[in-house]
Amino acid sequence: MTENLNLQRGLLRHISQFTEVELLDKIKVQSIATEDREGGGWPLVHLSDGRTLRARLLVGADGFNSPVRSYARIQSYGWAYDRHAIVATMNHPPRGPFQGSNTVAYQRFLPTGPIAFLPLSETSSSLVWSTKPQLASALKTVDPQVLADMINAAFRLPDVSLCYLQDRILDAEQSGSPLKPSQFRDELAFRERSDTIDVRSAYSSLAPEQSSAGIPSEDADAVPPIVTSIQAGTIASFPLRFSHAESYIGEGQGVRTVLVGDAAHTVHPLAGQGLNGGLADVEALVRCIEHALLRGGDVACDKLHKLYSSTSQPVVWARSVGLEVLNELDTIKAALMMSAGSERHRRRPGEVGWELAAKSIENFATGLDNARALGGSLANVVGDGVRSLWERGGSGRA
Amino acid sequence: MNPARIQFLRDKVTEIALDDDPNASVNPTRILRGLNVLDVGCGGGLLSESLTRLGANTLGIDASASNISIASLHASADPSLNFTSGISSLLPAHTTVHRGNKAEGKGTLTYTHTSVEELLIERGEGAFDIVCSMEVIEHVDNPRDFLDSCARLVKPGGHLLLSTIARTPLAYFLTIFAAEDLLGFVSKGTHTFSKYVNPEELEGFFRSYRSQSRPWISGPVAHRLQAETRGIIFVPWNNEWVLTPRGSKWAEGCNYLFWVRRPLE
Repeated sequence: MTENLNLQRGLLRHISQFTEVELLDKIKVQSIATEDREGGGWPLVHLSDGRTLRARLLVGADGFNSPVRSYARIQSYGWAYDRHAIVATMNHPPRGPFQGSNTVAYQRFLPTGPIAFLPLSETSSSLVWSTKPQLASALKTVDPQVLADMINAAFRLPDVSLCYLQDRILDAEQSGSPLKPSQFRDELAFRERSDTIDVRSAYSSLAPEQSSAGIPSEDADAVPPIVTSIQAGTIASFPLRFSHAESYIGEGQGVRTVLVGDAAHTVHPLAGQGLNGGLADVEALVRCIEHALLRGGDVACDKLHKLYSSTSQPVVWARSVGLEVLNELDTIKAALMMSAGSERHRRRPGEVGWELAAKSIENFATGLDNARALGGSLANVVGDGVRSLWERGGSGRA
Repeated sequence: MNPARIQFLRDKVTEIALDDDPNASVNPTRILRGLNVLDVGCGGGLLSESLTRLGANTLGIDASASNISIASLHASADPSLNFTSGISSLLPAHTTVHRGNKAEGKGTLTYTHTSVEELLIERGEGAFDIVCSMEVIEHVDNPRDFLDSCARLVKPGGHLLLSTIARTPLAYFLTIFAAEDLLGFVSKGTHTFSKYVNPEELEGFFRSYRSQSRPWISGPVAHRLQAETRGIIFVPWNNEWVLTPRGSKWAEGCNYLFWVRRPLE
C-alpha cells in the first residue's frame, strides 16, 4: 500500500516538470458561472483571489459533493448503505522470524460489513472497517485501547461473541460511562473462555507477544498481527454511499464540463475500486483529448462526448450492473456471509433457488417491455420513410 | 467527419514531404504549421478551426454571408484561434501571415464572404499551399469552372483536397432517401442526385487538366503521389466517421475524399 501523502508528493513532483501546468494553491473556487456570450458559453471559474478562469474544458475531479457536477446540473442517483467506514492507522509488533514480513492484507466479512487490515510497514497497518453508524461513532469516541482490542477481536472471535462485545460498548456508551480498557479486557477474556479459545492460540487476542517470539502457533497466518495501539489522530469515519452521475459530460448550460473519479461515481470501499475507477476515467479522458488534439479538434466539442461516453459506456454499464447485481442478489451476499461464518443469514438451499428464479423472471419481463418499446419506435421511422417514398412515387405519376 | 478529413490531409502532406526529401525530419503532428490553407465553402467553420489549431494560417470563404457570421461568432469565442474578422484578408497574402504572433507554431484564422472566382482575382494564382473544399462541388452550377478556380489557387507542389458524394444507388439510398426523407437529418432538397460526382470523373478532369503544360495526373493509373481517393464511412457503433482502407473501391461508393497534387515546376 502507498500512503496518500507519498502518492500526492510523487504526482506533484511529476507535474512540476511541465512548464505548461500552473498550480494554484491556497485559492478556492468561489463560484462557477456560464459565460454570457453568443457562440460562447464557456464555464467561468471565479477564484477567491479575484481572478476568473475561462475554461475550454472544466474537469470535475472535485469529489463526491462535486461543485462542477452541480454547476453542470448533472443528476446523480444512488443510495446510502446505512454504513460508516472507520479508518485508522494501527501499531503492532513485527511478524515473527518464521513468518516473513508484514505484506498480507486481511479482510473479514462480518454481518455488519467487512473489516480490512492493510499493511503499511513492518509495525503499522491501515484499518478500514465498515459497520453500523452508531457502532462506528461509539468506536470512534471510546478509549483507543478499547478500539485496538476490539479490532483484534473482530478478526478472531465468532460472530455471537462479537455481537455481545459490540452491545457492551454501545450500552456503556449510551449509559454515559464508556468502557475502560481493563473492563473491556475482562469482557474479552470472558468471551474467549466461553468460546474455548486457548490463550496460546492465534485466535486469542490476549496472549502477550504471541505473534513475534519463537515458533508461531499453527493458525498464526490466518489472522493479522495483534494490534497494540492506534496512532493518535488517525481515527476518522465517513458514511458509505453508492452514487453514479447520470452522465459524465455536461450538456446544455453545463457544456464543456466532464466528471472523473468520485465526482462521477462513488462505490463501496469493499474491493478498493474507488481509486482504480478514477484512474480509469482519467486514462479514457486523456485518450479522447489526445485523439481530438491530433486532428485539430476542440477538446470539449461533441467529439469528446462521443468518445468519452462510447469508450467508457460498457465499463460504466458493467460497473453499475455488477454492483446492482451484488446489491440485489441476496443469494450472493448470503453466500459471502456463509463463508464468513455468519449464522443469521443461512437459508435453506431450496429457498435460495426459488428467489433466484423469481428474480430472473422479473428481469426478463422488464427486458421484454423495453424491447417492445424500441420496436414500436423503429416501426414508426420505417413507416414514415415508406410513406414519403409512396407520396413521391404518386406525385411522379400524376 | 472532420477528424477523418484532417487525418487524411495530414497523412498525404506528410507522405509528400517525405517523398520530396526522404531525410527530412517530419513530425506529422506539426506538418500543417505555417502553411497557407484555403477552405472553400467553410460553412460553420468546423474544418477551418481544426486546421488553425494544427498551426495553419487559414482563410475560410463562403458564398453565404450568414455562414460567415456564424463561423466568425463561433471562432471569436475561442482565444486559441487568433481569429480576426474578414476585412484584412483582402490584403495581399503576405500580410496575413504576420498577424497574431502570439506564440510559435500557432495558426491564424480569417473568414471572408467571397467566392473562389473573386478570390482568384484578388490573390492571383498559387496563393495557397493547400486548398480544401468539403462537400461543395456537388452543389455548384459549373463544376469544371469551380475545379479550375480551386486548382489555380494551389501553388506548384501544393495540395488540393475535395470531398463529395459518388453518383451511385448506395449514395442515393443513404444521402437522399435515408438522410433527407427517412430520418430528416438534412432538409429536403439539399442534394441533387444528378450533381453527384464520381471519383473517376474527378480523376479524369485532372488527367486532362494542365498547369504550365504539365498534367496533374499522368500515366495510365494514377500514382498515389499524384492523386488518391479514399472512402469515408460512418461506423454507427462507434458513432464516428472513419477513413476506409486504401484501395477499397466498394467504400468509395458514397462519401469520399479526393486528394490531388499540383505538379512542381
